[in-house]
Amino acid sequence: MSDSHEQLLKQYLSEKAKAATTADLEGLRVKYLGKKGEVTELLKGLGKLSIEERKAAGAAINDLKTQIQSSLEESMRELALKEQEARLSAEKPDHSLPGTWPTAGSLHPVVQVAKEVADIFLSMGFFMAEGPEIEDEYYNFEALNVPSHHPARDMQDTFYLESGQVLRTQTSPVQIRTMEALQPPLKMIGLGKVFRKDSDITHSPMFNQMEGLVVGENISMADLKGTLVMFVENMFGKRPYRFRPSFFPFTEPSAEMDIQCIFCEGKGCKVCKGTGWMEVLGCGMVNPKVFEAVKYDTEKYTGFAFGMGIDRIAMLRYGINDIRLLFSSDVRFLRQF
Amino acid sequence: MKVLLSWLKDYIDINETPERIADALNMSGLEVEEIIQPGKNLNNVVVGKILSRDPHPDAEKLSLCSVDVNRGQPLQIVCGANNMKAGDKVPVALIGARLPSGFEISKAKIRGIESSGMMCSKRELGISEEHGGLYILDENAEIGQNIVNALSLDDVIFEISITPNRGDALSHLGIARELSAIFNLPLHRDPLGDEDGEGHVAEQVTVEIQDKDLCPRYGARLVHNVKVGPSPDWLKERLEKAGIRSINNVVDVTNYIMLDIGHPMHAFDYAKLAGKKIVVRPAGKDERIATLDNAERSLDSSMLVIADAEKPVAVAGVMGGLHSSVTDDTTSVLLEAAFFDPTSVRKTSKRLALMSDSSYRFERGTNIDNVPIALNEAARLLKQIAGGNPVKGIADAYPKPEVLRQIKVRTRRVNRVIGINLSPVQIETLLLRLKLDTRRDGEDLIVSVPPYRHDLSIEADIIEEVARMYGYNNIPTTLPAITSVLQLPTPLQKMEKRLRDHFVSCGFNEIMTYSFIPAAIDECFREKKPLMLQNPLSEDLSAMRTSLKWGMFDALKRNILNDEFNLRLFEIGKAFHPAAGGLSEEHSRLCIGFSGSADPKDWRRSAETFDLFSVKGLIQNIADLLKVKVRYAPGSCSVFHPAVQMELMVGKIPAGEFGQLHPNLLDNKKMPKCIFIAEIDLDKLATAIEDAGRMKPIPELPAVRRDLALLAPTAVAHRDILKILTTEGKQLLEDCYLFDVYQGKGIPENCRSLAFALSFRDPKKTLTDEEIQPMISRMVSRLDSELAVKLR
Repeated sequence: MSDSHEQLLKQYLSEKAKAATTADLEGLRVKYLGKKGEVTELLKGLGKLSIEERKAAGAAINDLKTQIQSSLEESMRELALKEQEARLSAEKPDHSLPGTWPTAGSLHPVVQVAKEVADIFLSMGFFMAEGPEIEDEYYNFEALNVPSHHPARDMQDTFYLESGQVLRTQTSPVQIRTMEALQPPLKMIGLGKVFRKDSDITHSPMFNQMEGLVVGENISMADLKGTLVMFVENMFGKRPYRFRPSFFPFTEPSAEMDIQCIFCEGKGCKVCKGTGWMEVLGCGMVNPKVFEAVKYDTEKYTGFAFGMGIDRIAMLRYGINDIRLLFSSDVRFLRQF
Repeated sequence: MKVLLSWLKDYIDINETPERIADALNMSGLEVEEIIQPGKNLNNVVVGKILSRDPHPDAEKLSLCSVDVNRGQPLQIVCGANNMKAGDKVPVALIGARLPSGFEISKAKIRGIESSGMMCSKRELGISEEHGGLYILDENAEIGQNIVNALSLDDVIFEISITPNRGDALSHLGIARELSAIFNLPLHRDPLGDEDGEGHVAEQVTVEIQDKDLCPRYGARLVHNVKVGPSPDWLKERLEKAGIRSINNVVDVTNYIMLDIGHPMHAFDYAKLAGKKIVVRPAGKDERIATLDNAERSLDSSMLVIADAEKPVAVAGVMGGLHSSVTDDTTSVLLEAAFFDPTSVRKTSKRLALMSDSSYRFERGTNIDNVPIALNEAARLLKQIAGGNPVKGIADAYPKPEVLRQIKVRTRRVNRVIGINLSPVQIETLLLRLKLDTRRDGEDLIVSVPPYRHDLSIEADIIEEVARMYGYNNIPTTLPAITSVLQLPTPLQKMEKRLRDHFVSCGFNEIMTYSFIPAAIDECFREKKPLMLQNPLSEDLSAMRTSLKWGMFDALKRNILNDEFNLRLFEIGKAFHPAAGGLSEEHSRLCIGFSGSADPKDWRRSAETFDLFSVKGLIQNIADLLKVKVRYAPGSCSVFHPAVQMELMVGKIPAGEFGQLHPNLLDNKKMPKCIFIAEIDLDKLATAIEDAGRMKPIPELPAVRRDLALLAPTAVAHRDILKILTTEGKQLLEDCYLFDVYQGKGIPENCRSLAFALSFRDPKKTLTDEEIQPMISRMVSRLDSELAVKLR
C-alpha cells in the first residue's frame, strides 16, 4: 500500500473513531466512498495511469475501498444496535403503575371447599346427586330410621313449614331419593344446604353438608375406612386418624372420624380443645332398616354412608372464627378467597 | 352427664389415668367432653379457723380477721365477705397459693393494712358457681389440713356426652359396665338393700296399673319415721360433684339412685296420698296438676299419670306433683320405681314442654329389672341416713313381664359387614365382655340381650357391638370393589358450574344468603305468597324466599352501608313457591347485583357506572356462553324502575328480569341511584340449551364494509332501524352492528346520531360497489320514508 493510501486509511480510521451516530458514519461513507468521495476520486485518477500501473494501483485502491467499506458496515451495525437500544429503553413506562385489567371475583369459600371435597370423591368414581331443601318428614326422618317421638330427633332441631314439611336437617334424604331411583352398585355424593334451629358463632340455622353413599355386594366397614382415609389424606394431608363408635339412626355400626388436629399437629390447642384430634365426619354401615325403606335386598347388599359439614371444614381451612360471616355477603370477607 | 371416678370405683377396680380412661370411653363411643379435676390446681389452700373478726379501721365494708391455719402465729387477713363470724372454719389460700382462676396470692396491703392470705368462696376454689360469701366449712374440719383432702377434691369428674341410643350408660353403673368391658375387668358392688322391714306393704298401699303397655311395671316401697333433713356430707358431695343440687335427704336419695344405677325414682309424702292407693292411668280430660316446679299444668288423655284414689299426684316419668311432695314435715315416704314406655314419656314431656332428668332417662329406656333394686337400695339409704323404718316388701305390679330379646347373629354376616375374619368363638368372647350371653347355633350365635340394652334389637346392632369390642381402629382399610352405575352431571349442574366460573372471571363475588328471609319485606320482592315456617328462629328468618332479589338487595345495601360502593355480586340458589296440595316447588335461580362501576381502579379512564346496557350485555354474554337463544321484552317487575327494566324471554317463556332498582327502594342516603339486579330462572335456561351445531367454513373471499351514519328522531328505536337494514341487506349482509350513539352538540334537538357498521359478503364471488350501492340506497330511502331517519 502506498503511503498516500495509508495516510488516507489512517485519516479515515481516526475520523471513524470519533463517529458517534449512524449519521456520522453515513457522512464518512459519502466522504470516502460517495460519488465524489476521496477513494472514488482515486479510482477516477486511475485513467491517467498506464495499463500496467493501472492494474497494480487499481488493485490497491480497491483493496482500500473494501477495507473502508467493511469497516463502515461493521460500525454501522454496532451503532444501529446501540441506537435502537437507546431508543427502546427510552420507551420504558413507569413499571410501578398498577395493572388495569378488571379484577377477578371470587367463589364463595364454602363452594370452593365443597368443590375440593367433591373432586376427590368424583375422582374415586362417585357421582353427584341432589335433592330438595324442603323435604317430607318421611325422607328426612322415617326412611332414615328416625321414627317420630324418638330421642334421636333431639339431635337435630328441625324447622317445620306450615304444611308439615320440614327444611331438611341433613343431606341424607338425598341417599333415599337416589336409592329409590337407582339400583346398586352405586357410589354417590350429595351436596347441599341443610337447616337446624340453632344460631351462634359455631352454628348457623343454614349450613352446607356433603353426603356420601356406597352400596353393593360385600361392601364392608373396611371399605368405609379405606375410602374415607383416602379422602382425608387427599384433603388434609397424610396424618394420624381414628374412628370412634358413635350413633346415627341410619347407620349401624356408626362411627365418627377424627384426624390429628391440623393446627397443633396433635399437641393440643384451643381449636381441638386440647385433645389433639379434630372430628371431620360421621359415617357408618347403612342400617338394614334404611335398605328396607327403599326396598333393597338387605341380604344381598351392604353399604356405607358418611356426611360432613362443609362450612366447618371451610372454617378450619381458612381460620374463619364466626360461621355467620359465611352468610354475611360482606365483600370485605368474600374478596379474601 | 358428669361421672365421678371415685364413684365408678364402687363398681370397678380401675387404676388407669384419667386420660387413659377418657380415651378408652371415647374409643368405645361414649364421648368424654371434658376431664375435670377440681383439686388439681389448688395448692397451698388449707382449712383455717377464724379466731376474731374486727372492722377494718379505714374501710367500712372490709373486715380484719385473725385466722389460725395451724402454722405458728395466726394470720392477719383482710376480707370483703360478710357471712363469717369468729369460730367459723373456712378455706384459706396461703401466700404463694394459686387459685384455679390463675390468681396468685401474695402478701398485700389492703387500705393500709397487711393481709397475709385470702379466705375463699366456693367459686374461688373452682368447685361451684356459688359466690355468695365465704365457703363455711364443716365445724369438724381439721385446722391446717389441705383443702383438697378436707373436701375430697382429689377426684376426677368426666363430662360425658351420651348418644340417644345409650340410655343404659346414663349412670355410674352404666359407665362402669362399659369400662369393665373395655378393660376386661370384673364388675362388682357392695350388697344392696333387701326387702326386710316391719309390717307388710300390701296392707298399707295398693298399686293398680290400668295401662300395662305404657307402664309394664310399677313398684312402691314404704318407709316410716323418716326425719327429713340435710343429707350427710358424702351424699351431698357426690351429688354436687355430679351437678345435682342437694335438696333434702329423701330427695337426695332418689337422685342418688338415679345417678348410681340409672333408675329415676320419685318420693311421695305417704300422708298426702288419698286412699293409700297408687293408680297408674291415663289422665282424664281437663285434669290438672301442679308440678314440683310450681307450675299448674293441664293434662290430656294421651298422658300417663300416677294418681291416688282421687287425683293425679305425678306425671308418669316426667315430674311429681307439688301437693304430694316430700316436705320438712313428712314422716312417711312412699318410694316409686317404675318402668314407663319411652315413647309415651317423650310425647308427654314434649307436650308439656317439661324436661327432667327423669324423663330424659325414661325416654332412652331404663332397666325394668332395676325396679326392686332401686326401691330396696333407697329404703336402705333412708334407714341409714334419715332414721327411717322400711316396711317389709315391695308393692310390685308387674303385669307385663319383660321377655328377654334373642337375636340371631350370623358369623358370616358379621365378618362380611365389618370386613374381618373372626371365628364364632372369638365373637362370643367379645360379646361376653359386654355381658351379652350367647348360645351357639351351628356357625351362628343366638345372643340374649339384657333388659337395659334397648339399643340392641337387630343383627346389625350386635355387629356394631362386635366391631366396638374388636376396636374400630383394628379393622383393615380396603377400597370398595364395585363400579358404580354411571350418572353424568345434569344440564343444570353443568350450567351452574359454568356460570360460577364465568362470573368469577367477570369480577363477581359469590354470595350465599339464607333460604329464609324476613316475613315483613317490601311486597314488591314477593313473587308468590311465601311458604312460612311454623317455628322460625325469629321473624327475620321466617318466610321461605320466593325469589333471590331481596337477599341480593339486602347484600348490596349492607355493603354500601359499609362504604363499599363498587359491587358485583352473584348468587345461585333455590327459590321456593307454594305448590298444589300445600306442598312446595323449588326453582333454581341465578341472581346478579351491580352497584357503582366495573373498574374503579382503572387509572387511565374515568370509571363508568353500570347501566341497563351493562346488565343486558352481561346477560347476552351468558346466553351466548350457554348457547341459549334469548329475547328481551318490556319488563313489569315492581322491584325495578318502571322504565329501566326488561324481561328475558326464552322462546315464549319469561325466564327472568333485570333492571334498575326502583327509586322508592333507595331508603338510605348512601345508596347510589344506579343499583341493578337481575334474576334468571336456570331451570328454564337449562331446557333451552342448544347443540353447538356444525362448523361453518371460513370465508375465502373478502368482505366489503360500509359505515352508515344516521340522524334519527329519538323516538325511533334502534331495533326498528336494524330491522330495515337487515331486511334490505338480505343474505349478503353478513353482519350489522351499532358502533356509536351520539346526542348533543351538532345534532338537532330530539334527535340522535346512530352509526352502523355493515359488512357484506358473497361466499361465491367478490362483491363490487355496483352490487352494494343499490342495496344501501334502498336502505336509506326506506329509513327516510318509514322512520324519518336521514343519512348524516
